[in-house]
Amino acid sequence: MQTFWLALLGLLLSGYFVLGGYDLGVQLLHSFMKDRDAALGAMAPFFLGNEVWLVAFTGVLFGAFPHLEGSLLSGLYPLVVAILVGLVVGNTAVQLRRRTRRGRRWWQALIVAGGTLPAVCWGLVVGLLLHGVPRLADGSFHIGAGQVLTPFVLACGVSVALLFASHGAAFLALRSAPDLAVRARRAGTTLVGAAGAAAVLALVLTLLGVGASMTNPLTSAPLTGLLATALVAAWWSLSRGHRIRAFAATCCATVVPVLLVGAGQHPYVLATKAGAGLSVAEAAADGTTLQILTAFGVVLIPTILAYQAWSWWAFRARTASSYF
Amino acid sequence: MSAADLARLQFAATTGIHWLFVILTMGLVPIVAIMHTRAAFTRDPAKAAVRERMTRFWGQLYLINYTVGIATGIVMEFQFGLSWSGLSKFAGNVFGAPLALETLIAFFAESTFLGMWIFGWGRLRRGVHVTLIWLVALTAYASAYWILVANGFMQQPVGYQVRDGAAYLTDFAALVTNPSALIALAHVTLAALTTGGVFVAGVSAYHFARDAKETDLFRGSLRLGVWVAMLASFFVIIVGDMQFPLLRRTQPMKIAAMDDSGVAQVQAQLLQQYGPGDYTLPGEWLRVSMDAMTIIGNTISTITLIAVILLWKDWLVRWRPLAWLMTAMIPFPFIASVGGWVFREVGRQPWLVYGELTVADALSHVSTAALAISCATFIAIFVALAVTNWTLITRLARRGPDATQLGALQPLAEDKQTVPAF
Ligand code: HEM
Repeated sequence: MQTFWLALLGLLLSGYFVLGGYDLGVQLLHSFMKDRDAALGAMAPFFLGNEVWLVAFTGVLFGAFPHLEGSLLSGLYPLVVAILVGLVVGNTAVQLRRRTRRGRRWWQALIVAGGTLPAVCWGLVVGLLLHGVPRLADGSFHIGAGQVLTPFVLACGVSVALLFASHGAAFLALRSAPDLAVRARRAGTTLVGAAGAAAVLALVLTLLGVGASMTNPLTSAPLTGLLATALVAAWWSLSRGHRIRAFAATCCATVVPVLLVGAGQHPYVLATKAGAGLSVAEAAADGTTLQILTAFGVVLIPTILAYQAWSWWAFRARTASSYF
Repeated sequence: MSAADLARLQFAATTGIHWLFVILTMGLVPIVAIMHTRAAFTRDPAKAAVRERMTRFWGQLYLINYTVGIATGIVMEFQFGLSWSGLSKFAGNVFGAPLALETLIAFFAESTFLGMWIFGWGRLRRGVHVTLIWLVALTAYASAYWILVANGFMQQPVGYQVRDGAAYLTDFAALVTNPSALIALAHVTLAALTTGGVFVAGVSAYHFARDAKETDLFRGSLRLGVWVAMLASFFVIIVGDMQFPLLRRTQPMKIAAMDDSGVAQVQAQLLQQYGPGDYTLPGEWLRVSMDAMTIIGNTISTITLIAVILLWKDWLVRWRPLAWLMTAMIPFPFIASVGGWVFREVGRQPWLVYGELTVADALSHVSTAALAISCATFIAIFVALAVTNWTLITRLARRGPDATQLGALQPLAEDKQTVPAF
C-alpha cells in the first residue's frame, strides 16, 4: 500500500512537472515572444488545472507521508519559500495582467520572475535530493548556501530551468498560431541543446564523484539514457517541425527528474547519501490511515484523470484566449 | 521576537488574509451560479441577454478575487510542513488525511472546472457550462468542509488514540463528523453567503445611487443580493449561538475568559487535567472579537430585513442615503469574520491540538533569521495582493458591466488602443 501511495505521489509530481512545467516555461519565454497575449492565451484554459497538481502533491505528501512532509519542507525552507513566492507572484500576474490598463511592463516582469524563480528552485531541489541532504540524528535537516552552491546542484538548477523553458517552447510550437509557433520552435531547438549541455555537466560531475549519490545506479542509468534520448528526439523533432513528437519528447524529458529522485533513490524518499536516509516505510502514515485514503484514492484518481482529460479535449483547438 | 512568535505571526497573518479572499469567493460563487442558471433558462432573448451580462460582470469580480485566493491557497497548503513540522510528527496520521482528501476531492476539481468555465463561453454547450459553475460552487464548499475537519481536529480532537507519543486514526467516521467541524461549517457557510449577498447588494445599490444606466441588470442583482444577505445573516446568528454549548464542554477556558467569570476555577480544573501550565487566555481579545461578530451580525440582519421590504417599487434605492448605506455595509461582514477566526483560534491557545500538543512544541527547527525573512516576505506579498485585489475589484465594480472582459470572444477594442506596442 505504501508503494501504491509512493507511486501516486510520483504521478502527482510528474503531472506537475509536465503540466506546471510548461506553464513555467511559457512564463520564462514570455518576454521573447512577439505576440505575448497569444503566448499566454495558448496555455490559459489549462493554467488553473495545471497548478493544482502541485497542491494535490502536497496534500498527498501530508496525508500519506507525514514524516517526510515535515522534515522535507522545513529542511528545504529557503527554497520552498522561494518557489512559493514565485508561484504566487507569477500566478497572479498571469491572471490579472489584463485586468489593468496600465502597468503592463510590471506584470510582464512579474510573469517572467514568477516563472524563473520556481523553475530554477525546483532544479536545485532535484539536485539536492539526488545528492543527498545532511540529516541530523533527530531526522531534521537544514540546507544552507554550502549545500546549494555546489557545481552539481547549480547545474541541476540550470538544467531543469532550461528543460522547462524548452518544454514551454514545444508547447507553444504545438498550440499557437503559425507565426508564434515558428518562433517558439526556433527558441525551443536552442533551449533543448542548452538543457542537454547543463545535464551533461551534471552527469560528468556525478561520474567524477561530486554529484548525485544514487542508491540504485542500475535504475538511474537507463533513466539518464531516457533523458538523453528524449532530449535528442525533442531537438530533432523541433528542428524538423514535428510538433506533436517534439512536445511528447519534452514531456518525457520533464518527467525524468521526478523518476530519478523517486526510483533512483528507492527505498529512500529522503536520501542522505547512496543507500541511507529516510525510507518509505518510515515516512509513510499508519496503515489504518493509508487504508482509508486508498478507499478514496481508487475512486478519485480515475475521476481526476477523466475530467482533466476532458478539459484537454474540450480545449484542444489551437486558439488564443481573450481573458488572461 | 522569538522564532515561535514569528512563526505564529506568519501563520496568523497569511491565513487571515487568505481567509478574506476565501470568504468572498465562497459568498459569490453560488450567487454567480444562480445568475448563470437563470440566464441559461430564460426564453425571452432580451431578458436572457441582460442576465448573461449580469453573470459575466459578477463572474469577473468573483474571478479576480479567486485568483488571489488560489495563489495564497497554494502557500497555505505548505505552511504546516514549513513551520510546524511537530504537527505532522504528532498528528500526521490523522491530520494529513483531511488535507489530502481536500486536495484530491475538492481543490483539483474546483480549479479544473473553473478553468473550463472561464474559457467555455461560446465554446461549450449551455447546459454543460452551467453545470461547471455549479460544480465549482459545490467543490468550493467541499474544500471548506475538509479544511474545517482538519481545523476541527485541532479544536476538539476526536477519532484517534495516542501511542508512543504519536496519534493514530482509530475512527474515521468520528473524525469526519466532528461536531466542532460541522457547526463551524454551517456558521462559515452562512457567514460567506452574508458577505457575498451584502457585496452584491452594495455594489448594485452604488450604481443606483449614481443613476445606473443598466437598471434592469442592477435591479436583478440587488434583489438577489439583499435576499441572500437577509436569509444568511438571520441564520448566521442562530448557528453562531449554537456553538456556545459545545464550547462550554470542549473549551471551557474560552468562555470563562470571555465572560471573565470563573477563570481561576477553570485554570485549576485544567491544571489537574493537563498538568502544569498557564491555561488562561487574553479575555480582551475574545470579547472584542465576539462583539465584532454579534454587533455586526445583528445590525446586518436588521438592515437587510428592512431592505427586503423596501425592495418593493425600488424604494430601497430611490432615496440615496439608503442606497449608500447598502454600499457602506460591504466591509463589515469581513470584519466580523476575522473576529470569528480570532475568537476561535486565540481561544484554542496554548494548544495546537487541544489537550494533546502545544503550539510551542510543534514548531519546526527553522532558524529565527530564515523565519524573519520569510515572515516579512509573505506578509508583504499578501498585503500587496490584498491591495491589488481590492483595487481591481473596486475599479471594475464602479465601471460596471461595460468593462467586463469575461466571455468576450474578442479582446475589447479599448484594450487594443491602450496597448499599441503589442
Ligand atoms: C450574533 C451573531 C454571531 C454569533 C453569536 C457568533 C458566534 C460565533 C462563535 C461562538 C464562534 C466561535 C466558535 C469556536 O470558537 O469554535 C464564531 C466563529 C466564527 N464566526 Fe461568528 N457569530 C456571529 C456572527 C458572525 C458573522 C456576522 C460572521 C461573518 C459574516 C461570523 C463569522 C465567523 C467565523 C468566520 C468564525 C470562525 C469559524 C467558526 O468557528 O465557525 N460570525 N462565531
